[in-house]
Amino acid sequence: MAFQLTPVWFIALPLLVAFAAPLWVRLGLLMSMLFATPLVLFGLAVSLFPAVGDAPLLETIVIAPPLGIHLHLDSASLLMVALFNLAGVLFASFLWLGDTEPHLRGRGPFVLILLLITGCTGLVLTGDLFNLYVFLEIAGVSAYALSALRRDKTALEAGLKYLIIGSVAAIFILLAIVLLYLETGQLNLAALARDFGDIPAAMQGLIGLLLLVGLGVKAELFPFNVWVPDIYRGSDPAVTSLFSGILVKAFLFVLFHLVFLLLADPAVARAWLMALGALTMLVAELVALRQQDMRRMLAYSSLGQVGLITLALGFASEATTAGALFHMVNHTLVKMLLFFVAALMLRRFLSLRLADLRGVGHAMPVATALFVLGSLAVLGLPPLSGFVSKLCILKGFAEAQAFWPIALILLAALIEAGYYFRWIKVFYDSDPAAPQCRSDDGPAYLPLVLIAGLLLLLGVAPFLIEDWFVQAARALLGRGTILESVLGVQS
Amino acid sequence: MLEFLDSPRVLHGIYILGSLTLFFIGLYGLLAKRHLLKALIGIAVMELSVYLLFIALATSPGETAPILADGLIDFTGMADPIPQALTLTAIVIGMAVLALGVSLAIQYHRLTGNSDMRAMTELKDS
Repeated sequence: MAFQLTPVWFIALPLLVAFAAPLWVRLGLLMSMLFATPLVLFGLAVSLFPAVGDAPLLETIVIAPPLGIHLHLDSASLLMVALFNLAGVLFASFLWLGDTEPHLRGRGPFVLILLLITGCTGLVLTGDLFNLYVFLEIAGVSAYALSALRRDKTALEAGLKYLIIGSVAAIFILLAIVLLYLETGQLNLAALARDFGDIPAAMQGLIGLLLLVGLGVKAELFPFNVWVPDIYRGSDPAVTSLFSGILVKAFLFVLFHLVFLLLADPAVARAWLMALGALTMLVAELVALRQQDMRRMLAYSSLGQVGLITLALGFASEATTAGALFHMVNHTLVKMLLFFVAALMLRRFLSLRLADLRGVGHAMPVATALFVLGSLAVLGLPPLSGFVSKLCILKGFAEAQAFWPIALILLAALIEAGYYFRWIKVFYDSDPAAPQCRSDDGPAYLPLVLIAGLLLLLGVAPFLIEDWFVQAARALLGRGTILESVLGVQS
Repeated sequence: MLEFLDSPRVLHGIYILGSLTLFFIGLYGLLAKRHLLKALIGIAVMELSVYLLFIALATSPGETAPILADGLIDFTGMADPIPQALTLTAIVIGMAVLALGVSLAIQYHRLTGNSDMRAMTELKDS
């Protein structure tokens, strides 16, 4: 039997590796498997890129769609899969090299991290609504368990809050799926997209509202995101980098995938989604100004960026969508860098409060320099990739003669500068009481430096992968192509 | 006398009313009760109401189980099997999430002696 590189490996391989965890423990290969699995899949994703550019790959399981289950790999979902696996590689190398806390290195976290990556990959690959729900719960359950991993008061509180709010969101999504099935008798996304227009308008509105609430909670949109800073504050900073880097991106992708697919004309939802994005961005950035804990500050900053991405995706023009996808990649890299720095600082200082971090720049010069680099990338200053992606988004808006989003994005960047520089100023405050000893966790900085290098590379040479984003944007917006490729000849 | 109950419209109407009532009971439990386990029970009740709605509305009176046996050799007059398969899956998932939630709640109670949701303020910024 010929060994074929089909999309199902993106889901099957991490699942198999996760379930064989006792074997890896016995062989002493746990950390290397955690590192190698996403690395292999990242390589596979990059190698599939030229093939997917011609036509989306469909993996049919048992029966052909619309009756059977299928996986749908086009440029957009391949981009997300590659991003998730890259994030997985970076996270694993941080755990491996960084001599992290024991509760992050055992068998439990190994399984949970791989399941989280599997769930998120499944979310973007699946072409079937009920599988979407299953993958959503796989990603959700592993995220709840990961945030409670430390088993102390704050971690358990974060895990419980996450579980309660996440389950309620999942119920809303399940109800929307049930109503969609009862109305159309279909679960296949492409078939649903074809039949969605025939549902009565009131029912369409109800289904849309339920999906918006459910996915809005999961994708951390205002006003459904009040819980986010609590969870980010209670979980380990390293784990939080996965939430902010992978989980949110997967749900944002699902939300917009459904919007672009179900609505024949995305302009119906444009005003609503753009308003949600703008509100999320402004509220989060304003609240971030007065945070006293670094994890909460980074959580609000993450929400601000999610709002920016929503604003750009909601506009649904090709240029802004490509820019938003680029910004997703940037934001994943930047937030992983910042949360890794937070993890290192937490290990040294046992606190991440602003007052306790005075003079940290003298005790941990490399970590602080990386934090400065990361915050400059969030702000979007020229040599870094954040500049290029924000420029893409702004250019997209300017071409379409929409000027209020540009003003809002620039205003948000200004507020961001305010709070990031507040923290940086405190870091470089001279404080005689600050410990002067040199840190000895040299290898831990390797993944951080790698991320910083990637940010610089993408900022200097965006043309390396810019085509990919444009192609992905076309695939995400190309409703007709998806219908045609799944259902055969359709109008 | 009760034949009118056999018409799908009436029956489905009753099911819709019943499952919506259940849904809002669950929502009330989640929002109004302070005990952690009661909130989790509220979530479970909400989930159950969705399952009930799905199964009830996908089946009309008089349909049999979709199994070919005992002289049944044709797929006529049978209920749609998909909702039942999906509901089974969803029940298993919901059960797992609930078990995780209860175990976290027990650990939290053992560690802090607290089971009140509103006293969970450790994560707030002072």
